[in-house]
Amino acid sequence: MESILFLAAPITACFLLSGILGYFGNHILSRGVIFVDIAVAQVAALGTMIGILLGANEGSLFSSLFSLGFTLIIVSAFAISKFKHKEFSQEVIIGIIYCMALAGAMVMVDMVSGGSNFIQKTITGAVLWVTWKDILVIFLIFLIVFLFHLVFLKRFIKISQGNRDSFHPSELRLLELVFYISFGIVVVQSVKIGGIFMVFMYLIGPAAMTLFITENWKNRFILSWIFGFGGSIIGLVISFIYNFPNGPAIVCTLGLMLIIIPLFSNNKKQSSLVSHKMD
Amino acid sequence: MEGLIFMLPPFAACLTLIGLLGYFGIHVLKRGIIFIDIAMAQIATLGITFAYVLKIDPESFWTYPISLVFVLIAAYIFSTLKSKNPRMCIEAIIGISYAVATTAAVILIDKAAGSDEHIKEMLIGSILWVQWADILKSLLVFAAIGFIHYFFRDKFLPLSEDYETAIQKGINVRLWDFIFYLTLGIIVMHAVRIGGILIVFSFLIIPSGISALFSNKWFPRILSGWIIGTIVSIIGLYLSWKFDVPSGPAVVLFLGLFLVIAVIAKSTGVFKTSAVPIKNNMGTNSKGA
Repeated sequence: MESILFLAAPITACFLLSGILGYFGNHILSRGVIFVDIAVAQVAALGTMIGILLGANEGSLFSSLFSLGFTLIIVSAFAISKFKHKEFSQEVIIGIIYCMALAGAMVMVDMVSGGSNFIQKTITGAVLWVTWKDILVIFLIFLIVFLFHLVFLKRFIKISQGNRDSFHPSELRLLELVFYISFGIVVVQSVKIGGIFMVFMYLIGPAAMTLFITENWKNRFILSWIFGFGGSIIGLVISFIYNFPNGPAIVCTLGLMLIIIPLFSNNKKQSSLVSHKMD
Repeated sequence: MEGLIFMLPPFAACLTLIGLLGYFGIHVLKRGIIFIDIAMAQIATLGITFAYVLKIDPESFWTYPISLVFVLIAAYIFSTLKSKNPRMCIEAIIGISYAVATTAAVILIDKAAGSDEHIKEMLIGSILWVQWADILKSLLVFAAIGFIHYFFRDKFLPLSEDYETAIQKGINVRLWDFIFYLTLGIIVMHAVRIGGILIVFSFLIIPSGISALFSNKWFPRILSGWIIGTIVSIIGLYLSWKFDVPSGPAVVLFLGLFLVIAVIAKSTGVFKTSAVPIKNNMGTNSKGA
């Protein structure tokens, strides 16, 4: 009984994270910008380091606001850039942002005390040590983001499906800005709790599983939440029984599910893991 | 002067890397599998971790073949999935294998205490401390793979240009796709050892990204990739030596600067070359329904 109480907070955190990330994941997968969250997380880490170099204390409110602000500036620049090229896709730009942010962090890591320790933390995450206060904060943030998305939902889906030309260019930019800024906020908050890989898997894994079953967007959203949350519960139980680190256990469970689910799907258009990317 | 002799091995390492990565980068961009190298490096590391759990000394001979088997399995999975559905977004599969390989390694490390230091070292690498023996070994492997790719260029190039057209041409896409991923995986294994993942990643996508702005022909792009890589390596390494900053990141940041200049030059129309007009979509894996 005690163990269930102990797991109550992590399970709630997984419920919230898998929900919002499962939703975003379907957009991300259809847009073909698979690694955008890893780039965002790396930019946020760079922002935190710059903040510390400028004299902020790690973990202070100023430090996290500085990091968030820095991230949102980069993300906005990415969202409104109308740079289009056949090979120079958005994913290439994401790759370049990622390696520039990583290089910047590596140059600075020696200047910040405890810098390498800080990088380590963003990889593994600490969902087991999440507090109810953290959960309340992310719940409120996710709720606001969710309400925003409810308003623009039809238009966001249209963009993710690749119908970008049906919008006026300035409207398209505004929608892209809202989408990526809200995504940036969600990723920065989620990585603090789950770490980069859990966030990455919550985004791509369940969304990919649902594509083996349905192509209807509403069903995709619902199913990816179910798969994401179900996988988290199994992963947490396994990590609890065998004493594995919990984040990695959840990621590997979701990875296994992705191998098993296609075997049982009888969708005629099986494995239509097709990206619509930009046009 | 003495300091410059000290910079000679890293410079030779940079040239070795740019030689083949400049070429593979064009494949990677055309296929839209931007993060393949990071995933392959992580899969090879999972192999090393697995060997460690089997109580095999990381420095022993057996670590390499075990790691190679993991890369082989990954190459098999990528090429098989693509052959089952040519429109599948392989980048998503690559992303998922990256996440699973990394976290599986964390679980294994957790069970075999003390191996994390070694793996961290493998991942980060240091071009400054690169040994001539490592450079030579990589050079031989790269030459062999470069030869294979040159000899079978009529298979590899069309395959990356357009998967579905390659099927129509009667190329055994599954086989050549498998060989492509396998050779790329082997290169990444060696390249990461001498350059670290950051240098490998940027050498792979930035020079080919710059040349994509101005041309879509293979030969001029390979050549310009080599020239850009060489110039950037010289400037970056010299400045890192002069100002005492880490050499890998210095080279990468310079490459980024080069890219910005190229994008500005392109958009202001300094170069009016046979740039590619924006076609309907981006290559093989994106023809959405």
